[in-house]
Amino acid sequence: MSQETLRIQKISAHAGAVPGEGTQREFQVCKLIDTTTCIGCKACEVACMEWNDLPFGQTVFDNTYQTMPDTRWNYWNLIRFNEHETEDGTLMWLMRKDQCMHCADPGCLAACPSDGAIVQYTNGIVDFQQANCIGCGYCITGCPFNIPKFNSETKRVYKCTLCADRVSEGLEPACIKSCPTGCLHFGSKDDMKYLAETRAKQLRDHYNFPKAGVYDPPGVGGTGVIYVLHDVTEPENYGGLPKDPHIPLTVKLWKGPLKWLGNLAMVGGLIGLFVHYLRFGPKSRDEEFETKREGEQP
Amino acid sequence: MTVTAPPYREHPAQAVPPGRILRYSFRERVVHWLAALSYIYCLLTGLAFWSPWLFWLAIALGGGQISRMLHPWIGLIFIAGVLQMYGLWARQMGITDDDRAWFRSMRYYIRNEDDKMPPVGRYNAGQKLLFWGFFVCGILLFLSGLVLWFPEYIPWSLRWLRYTAILIHASSALLTIGLFLIHVYMGVFAERGAFDSVIYGDVTEDFAKRFHPAWYKELFGSAPRRK
Amino acid sequence: MTNGWVDMKNTDMMLIMGGNPAENHPCGFKWPIEAKRTRGAKIISVDPRFTRTSAVADLFCQIRAGSDIAFLGGVIRYAIENNRIAKDYLVNFTNAAFIVRPGFQLPGDTDGVFSGFDAKTQSYDRSTWNYAGTGGGGGDSSPHPPGGTSPAAPKLPEKVEFDLSLQNPNCVFQLLRKHYSRYTPEMVERITGIPKEQFLKAADLYTSIRKDGDMKKASTIIYAVGWTQHSFGTQIIRTAAILQLVLGNVGRAGGGVNALRGHSNIQGATDMAGLFDSLPGYLKVPTPADTSFDAWIKRITPTPSKPAPWDSFNYSSNTPKFAVSYLKALYGDAATKQNGWAFDYLPKVDRNYSWVQMWDDMYNGTVKGMLAFGMNGVAIGPNSKKNIDALKKADFLVVGEIYPDETSEFWKSPGITTDEMKQIQTTVYRLPCAGFAEKDGSFTNSARWLLWKNTALPTPGDARLDQAIVAQIFLKIRELYKKEGGKFPDPVLNLTWNYSNPSSPPLAEVLKEVNGKALADLEDPATKQQIKAGQQLPGFAWLKDDGTTSCGNWIYSGSFTEAGNQTARRDPSDPSGLGVHPGWGWSWPANRRVLYNRASCDVDGKPWDPSRKQVWWNEGQQKWVGNDVPDFKVDSKPKDHMGPFIMNPEGVGRIFAPLSAFADGPFPEHYEPIESPIDNPFHPQQTHNPVVKRFKTPDDKYGTPKDGYTVVCTTYRLTELYHYWTKNNPMNVQLVPEPFVEISVEMANEMGFTGGEKIKVSSIRGDYIAKAMVTKRIKPLMIDGKKVYPIGLPIHQGYRGIAEDEGKDARTLANLLTPTVVDPNAYTPEFKGFLVKVEKV
Repeated sequence: MSQETLRIQKISAHAGAVPGEGTQREFQVCKLIDTTTCIGCKACEVACMEWNDLPFGQTVFDNTYQTMPDTRWNYWNLIRFNEHETEDGTLMWLMRKDQCMHCADPGCLAACPSDGAIVQYTNGIVDFQQANCIGCGYCITGCPFNIPKFNSETKRVYKCTLCADRVSEGLEPACIKSCPTGCLHFGSKDDMKYLAETRAKQLRDHYNFPKAGVYDPPGVGGTGVIYVLHDVTEPENYGGLPKDPHIPLTVKLWKGPLKWLGNLAMVGGLIGLFVHYLRFGPKSRDEEFETKREGEQP
Repeated sequence: MTVTAPPYREHPAQAVPPGRILRYSFRERVVHWLAALSYIYCLLTGLAFWSPWLFWLAIALGGGQISRMLHPWIGLIFIAGVLQMYGLWARQMGITDDDRAWFRSMRYYIRNEDDKMPPVGRYNAGQKLLFWGFFVCGILLFLSGLVLWFPEYIPWSLRWLRYTAILIHASSALLTIGLFLIHVYMGVFAERGAFDSVIYGDVTEDFAKRFHPAWYKELFGSAPRRK
Repeated sequence: MTNGWVDMKNTDMMLIMGGNPAENHPCGFKWPIEAKRTRGAKIISVDPRFTRTSAVADLFCQIRAGSDIAFLGGVIRYAIENNRIAKDYLVNFTNAAFIVRPGFQLPGDTDGVFSGFDAKTQSYDRSTWNYAGTGGGGGDSSPHPPGGTSPAAPKLPEKVEFDLSLQNPNCVFQLLRKHYSRYTPEMVERITGIPKEQFLKAADLYTSIRKDGDMKKASTIIYAVGWTQHSFGTQIIRTAAILQLVLGNVGRAGGGVNALRGHSNIQGATDMAGLFDSLPGYLKVPTPADTSFDAWIKRITPTPSKPAPWDSFNYSSNTPKFAVSYLKALYGDAATKQNGWAFDYLPKVDRNYSWVQMWDDMYNGTVKGMLAFGMNGVAIGPNSKKNIDALKKADFLVVGEIYPDETSEFWKSPGITTDEMKQIQTTVYRLPCAGFAEKDGSFTNSARWLLWKNTALPTPGDARLDQAIVAQIFLKIRELYKKEGGKFPDPVLNLTWNYSNPSSPPLAEVLKEVNGKALADLEDPATKQQIKAGQQLPGFAWLKDDGTTSCGNWIYSGSFTEAGNQTARRDPSDPSGLGVHPGWGWSWPANRRVLYNRASCDVDGKPWDPSRKQVWWNEGQQKWVGNDVPDFKVDSKPKDHMGPFIMNPEGVGRIFAPLSAFADGPFPEHYEPIESPIDNPFHPQQTHNPVVKRFKTPDDKYGTPKDGYTVVCTTYRLTELYHYWTKNNPMNVQLVPEPFVEISVEMANEMGFTGGEKIKVSSIRGDYIAKAMVTKRIKPLMIDGKKVYPIGLPIHQGYRGIAEDEGKDARTLANLLTPTVVDPNAYTPEFKGFLVKVEKV
């Protein structure tokens, strides 16, 4: 089988073991977004469109520089603009590149009912396999970051692939390539964490951002996309970055206890009824209620 | 919708063989099977989406995409059936004191000691439970199903709708599965003649007398007819 | 730029003002970010709006458009008052110690004008703007002679009086101090609207690099058309230059005064005589007063003017070599010593032919036709309606473009009736041209780097290269002159046209011609290096005034040598780590990356900052060496005290710009924009730049607060769109689908509208309709006690484009609003800071 298969460590809705789990010596890749040096130029938006050959869509003026309110099935990379006033009245214009976070513990994959529609490669990239996607949209519900988007024409869901095609060839994702200021970095998770922490420290020590820090939320097992934020205690200011993202509780209940309870109940019920039949049999065993219909042979 | 006490014996639309009583009208049978078959389709595809171990069901039924596409439409047929049933039977499904007594003596029913049960009308309390269970779960499945059908139209600010819907859809489906299993068991295995009745519409008088004596009485008065 | 994009990574402090590089130069902006990340540098953003540059700045000041000189003057005052000046640099490398003639008067001592003002002609007699001293007789080195300079124009003295203690009340430094002592923080607040505390924060932060006399650090000033597009634009840049000289930042890595050019090749256009008053390489154009080659050369070649003990290289003394080589390049063998190198072939510029003047002339009927290539004149403005009306009167218009644009469709601009359309007699020729990726050639970027690019795509359909179209027009004209003669066919018939494909000259051949070649065998007497006739010249040091060299542009000499096309080099190595990258492309002059880099060393030739060594005096070799090409006479010993600003006859930086250097003053003074919400608080009787003239056509109207125009409007560009061009590209249109007007929350609340509502912005000249973007990024300002609402609008949309064609756009041009009025030195229109009113639609 191809290396591709071996590079898969998690598969959605998959019964049985996963071929690549623990079989590849690969490091986690990671995209670092330093929001403090983002200039909102949208080069990453364009690069994403260009590399992935995504078709253009209509947009309308919405009292903001932000291209559109949310990412779309054909717009995977969106800089969110937010005018934020700090407590001392200083205006900040926060810009955050929004895209799939490539969670270590992906809610989309957990929620997906279709075998192989969502996979996680051994390098950590979470990728949708549209061929296997049944379009149920459960991934939309599973995602705490509002990323997967449904295409009503193809009945499939799409999102950022972290340019898995480029990365597998040893290239950086298109957005990284296009970033003019170097606010985007790409490399191993360890390296990116180091770089991010170093930058955050510089912001704290030298640039008067005492709350600067790195956003790598543990609630989803950490992410393959991490942010340096001026104020890591209030990520919501950056266009609604959740403070403590988790796979939604109901998704967890549904995929966890409810599933086992339900399975138990169904199997238990079947067995119970069978045993009941064996023990008590039908309510009327003989032919007592059988009256012959006209024309029927006795 | 009003349902007048039907002349079950001599239904104008259907000749009932002598000695048999019309239990389900043609319309009732159609509605039942409409609901039943659509339910079974939704059940199978739903089970496929429920567990990776059963995903083969979706493949057997034409593939995941087809299953996902048809499941909500067939679900609509099911809910239409449920609503029809409500129209047909809701009045007869009122829970009475007898029903409450029936539940209390359910252990006899389980042990097939039907003679120890309180008098039963056209439907026993179990059947009524089935009816109301399916009705309530059907509504819940419908509402949550609408949310799940078009998740892309639910704005991020209303995402709790989706979060609630997945849980409600799965839970109510599970409840209906429980009811469904008992219903099939009762209709096919436990009560001989019951399955026929929902095919042909009629039951023997003995069947009626034994399992639904109050109904029989209602039809023919207190004096049981001779066979 | 004195420095360059990459050099910005060396800086410790950035004042970004009159420019928005994060939005308009995002690729170059990587270097300011690099400086932040690696050096802990700070950015101060001063802008009428909180921009995407402000978003990554460490300090933001919202300034009223057009009050920049007040702000910068305030910073100069702050630096002097708090002794944050580079004393040694100031004394030795600038004209701070020079003594100015006693008759000179500052506007603070008069009624708001410098000495010599003639109110009737609205011009200055600039003879008092001169140094005290003796001797002299050479030309002055002013960049812009206004029309014809009289032969009796005053000259700089040969020996200038000076006072190295800087105490003489008439020395430049004392005059500077006196002039800007009026620019108190309170005054800055009144004029700019920046609260005093905020201004002091900015002034303190910016000058902090010279705290306690430290000379190691360097700060840079980065600007763009937010400074140039004012009726005093040149003087804003002058103020910045003075500030940088006072702080000792010019010539230093991470320092300088850095203009960001708004298009990929604007620098190249200016270098190659894009302006009417210069020839390639900034040689001054001849005027009718220059009756002969010698007279012209005498006028434009300066002689040294300096304190007697000092030395001055006065590199411009080589002007005759540049001029003769240029004429040899133009006319080849037809240019001989006997005919004054065919000087008579050169057109003599008798008056102003600048952009705005050209449209005015067309409006008034003296210009009959126009060839418009690579620009959308109607949209560019200013005062688009005037330009449209002017085109209606023209006989013909030729537009070379890649899209149908507003200019080529001026005859169906919105609002025009069918009857009016029928009246228009202008013949419009639309020629499909090549796009930038469809042609090769070099771009000269803001850093003066020439970078060659190759053709990426073939031209589609019938589209042709721009130079092919121009060449074919030329060949046709030459043919006609040949056939029919004419009044003066010689300049056309004798023009050099030795291209392998005359009807479409390959641009590499043009660059070779620009670089120059030897016309006879040459030998350098010092090194004995020889160059054979016909070989490419290695650089402008080889140029001769005896007709043995030809060179199309002396500053580009060295770009295409015998070693090949230097602009195509792509060696990324940077041995010094200072961002010099000597093998990447080629920068004028002489592949030098930082101009005046001798000033990066102290008087003794030692770098101010040993960790950023650009050039230095090597005692052993007895010459200047370095990581960059020394911008200096390489064997001039430090003890000779030659000034580092070798292009000035003084050899030093001009804090005081003498004589005809500028039309409107030797020091910059704050004047209000032509349309201003207040009278000038310094001198209400002299509110505007005194030498600025208004235009007189019926389309030239100027609004005042009394007419109800009280809102200060500024125009700008967005990252997402490129001028009037990318509105034809769906990707860009998706990013910014519609035009908008940025207004403050306070103003929206007061006027009762919300974001997304259509509003009408009107100046006295026209209306602009777009949706309101209500933002916290613009706030009302308190200007001289009055609450003033600033607004801003991007210029990109018009009546031809995707959104326009879909009817999403109101199809109005931003420049319908802007006034026709120009800076008196560079003739740049005042696009920034005009008055409007705002209404609901």
